[in-house]
Amino acid sequence: MSGQIYLATAYLGMISALAIWTWTVLTRSHSLESRIEALEKSLGNGEE
Amino acid sequence: MKRLGEALTLAGMAGAGLTLWLGLTWAPSVAIEAFESPDAQRIFYWHVPSAWAAMLSFLFLFIGSTMWFFKRQQWAWRLHVASSEAGLATGLMCVLSGTIWGAAEWGIPWDWTDVRLNTFAMLTLLSLFLVLGRRSQPDGIETRDTFSTFGMYGFLLVPITYFATRIWQIRHPGPVVGTSEGSLNSDMGLVLLAGAISFTILIVGHIISGMRLADLELRLEDLASKYEEVI
Repeated sequence: MSGQIYLATAYLGMISALAIWTWTVLTRSHSLESRIEALEKSLGNGEE
Repeated sequence: MKRLGEALTLAGMAGAGLTLWLGLTWAPSVAIEAFESPDAQRIFYWHVPSAWAAMLSFLFLFIGSTMWFFKRQQWAWRLHVASSEAGLATGLMCVLSGTIWGAAEWGIPWDWTDVRLNTFAMLTLLSLFLVLGRRSQPDGIETRDTFSTFGMYGFLLVPITYFATRIWQIRHPGPVVGTSEGSLNSDMGLVLLAGAISFTILIVGHIISGMRLADLELRLEDLASKYEEVI
């Protein structure tokens, strides 16, 4: 393999790792927020 | 805090993108006769900053673990959680890029006799253990204490990893910055500095976001138990 293929493979791997990690943190955060909001609403309704 | 974490993460990613572009187009080539694979040398512009970011994560992990263990601070546990995930992501980036560079330059991806490679891999495995272990265990004082202990003692590997190439020069190259033996020219050093700053901003942004995430998880658990009581 040429050096450029190694270079491209390494950068693609690192960019993918960075993108997956960032995406996971952001989506987990949004998912948790909506679940918390739903539970708070349910609890609010239950107390009324 | 939500916006700060996301803003820093995005700024860090933009900086990392700029570093990548400068490393590929602007940084000078290395001497062809000095390297087996001069093209692959450009992996260095993200490999070193990701190693730096991993070391910072392990430092934050140590601070979070110690402050939780001795002071029982809730923010410290969230820091432990966020920095173990950050250490895993950046550690994997560094190991992955290093093995690909090793395959290009040395002809083998890994050297089991090299202290730097193996202690860094142990640090990455430690963060993998902390991330997976925490997800499989119920949250509680005992669980937190156990993982914090690993976070504290695991930090011993950081100075060993840092000084490894100064003490035992086996296969991993020695230091190229902050030493009189450094062989980095000023343009290369500038790109590397841009990478280090970008990855520092990125890791701080990710850790802030990760701490918020840990806080949301705890709130959700708390609300879920309240919900069960009401039902």
